[in-house]
Amino acid sequence: MQTKPIGAAALLIPATGLVLVFMGLPLIYLFRYSLNQYVPGEFIVDGFTLENYRIFFSEAYYLTGMWTTLLMAGAVTILCITLGLPIANWIARQSGTLKTILLMAVILPLFISNAVRAAGWMVAFGQAGVLNYVLLQLGLISEPLQIMQTPIAVFIGMTAVNLPYVVLTLQSIFEGLDENIDFAAASLGAQPLQSFFLVRLPQVVPGILAASMLSFILAMNAYATPVLLGGPSFRMMAPMVVVEIMNKANWPLGAALAFILLATTVAISILAALFIRRRY
Amino acid sequence: MIIFCGMSIMLLPLILILWLSVTSNEILALPVEGYSFRWFSEAFRQPQFLSGFLLSVTVATFATVAGLIVSVPAALVIVRRRFWGREALIQLLMSPLTVPAIVIGAALYITVVEVEIASGVPLVGSTAIFAAGHVLLTIPWCVRLLLASMEGLNQSIEEAAASLGASPASVIWRVTLPLIRPAMFAAGVFAFVVSFGNLEVSIFLSGPGQVTLPVAVMQYLEWKIDPTIAAVSVLQVLFVAVMLVISDRFVNISRMV
Repeated sequence: MQTKPIGAAALLIPATGLVLVFMGLPLIYLFRYSLNQYVPGEFIVDGFTLENYRIFFSEAYYLTGMWTTLLMAGAVTILCITLGLPIANWIARQSGTLKTILLMAVILPLFISNAVRAAGWMVAFGQAGVLNYVLLQLGLISEPLQIMQTPIAVFIGMTAVNLPYVVLTLQSIFEGLDENIDFAAASLGAQPLQSFFLVRLPQVVPGILAASMLSFILAMNAYATPVLLGGPSFRMMAPMVVVEIMNKANWPLGAALAFILLATTVAISILAALFIRRRY
Repeated sequence: MIIFCGMSIMLLPLILILWLSVTSNEILALPVEGYSFRWFSEAFRQPQFLSGFLLSVTVATFATVAGLIVSVPAALVIVRRRFWGREALIQLLMSPLTVPAIVIGAALYITVVEVEIASGVPLVGSTAIFAAGHVLLTIPWCVRLLLASMEGLNQSIEEAAASLGASPASVIWRVTLPLIRPAMFAAGVFAFVVSFGNLEVSIFLSGPGQVTLPVAVMQYLEWKIDPTIAAVSVLQVLFVAVMLVISDRFVNISRMV
């Protein structure tokens, strides 16, 4: 293709322009807005203050939300990796129709909105839900457990949301492993479990790091799951941004929260990318 | 054992929603009295779901078409030319996947309201603004899928066409585009599904009476869970599943996520 440089630039401009106009500029504006002052009742008070950031770092309401977000993201990621590794390893070893079915079973949930999957957990965990009914029938409990609107419900719901991403990331890495190495390990007398932990696992460490980062960031930015399963008193960052901007109409503080969430997300992805690049 | 736990944690919510949608009780109550399909017709009687579905399809169509129109030329240049800032440009086009959707939504909302005040044109809740927000979601997927397929393209076919006297424009139109048609189709389906399911950006851009289907579902669920919303969810899942099966005929989806 012998297009001139100018022609090439013209082909790039529409896509780049859309991203810059509809995301770049609004993000700059969001940052500028986070420096404005909030006066209840007044719509926009132009200012130049770090007050909103000071509020975030000094008030327990917001700090707790941030800590909950980080802890939840960490816990969900650890569980996802623990569950995801054996599943990915198992799927990678299957073939034919079974493999297609298994992959479809992993991929389909990925395309179903988080709200719908949260609704499924509401059916399971509610006061009149399936789990309470089964436990009551079995006589294991005498009155319904309160599972909805607890961190446990959010924890399970978010694990379900992130697990398919983790499984697919790991599965594609297990697929790429050389099977002869496993045969070599077996011929030298390694048991299957030994072979998994000592031979296969070390080869996929970069994949585990990549999957962990993906899961952590997804969890940090989760919205529907914490709102629907955690209830109004459970606070994580993304729901707090919506509450601040849409419900409390405190745009400057909401903008500051959004910007902190963005900065944390970007920082984690850059650090993880650097770490993976340096080590591997 | 772990494998069983993991698979059920992924699939259980979907199975439970499917089950709830066909129970005959008015609300979730166990043991169930019986089974019926009446909640599926009830789902169509609730106006917010039907209008939400139509808005979602309209927005997703606009966003997908616009995303493809801008991404195909960009991907062509990125694959074929080595230029300064190429890596940075790819990063920029993929960045809407890194920036949290909730932040994109918040930033766009604040900006749009400001523009609204300055210009006097009502924008929040308009299809155009939804499409503008959603095109951000479709561009990275289009670029990613198109790049993946174009890198494997045999360039000598295009060179042959050029050496036989085809003009550059005619090479692109009559050789390159037909070659990447499956990838364009897959990118389109993917972009459509991503836009159709988006909640975080839409939640900010919705106006009174102008909500997309995911926002309508979310608002309903914040209030209550019953077989009607389960039926709506099942229909939504079926819609997405059909799209995926169609696109699986063209590309291997599991390689693309």
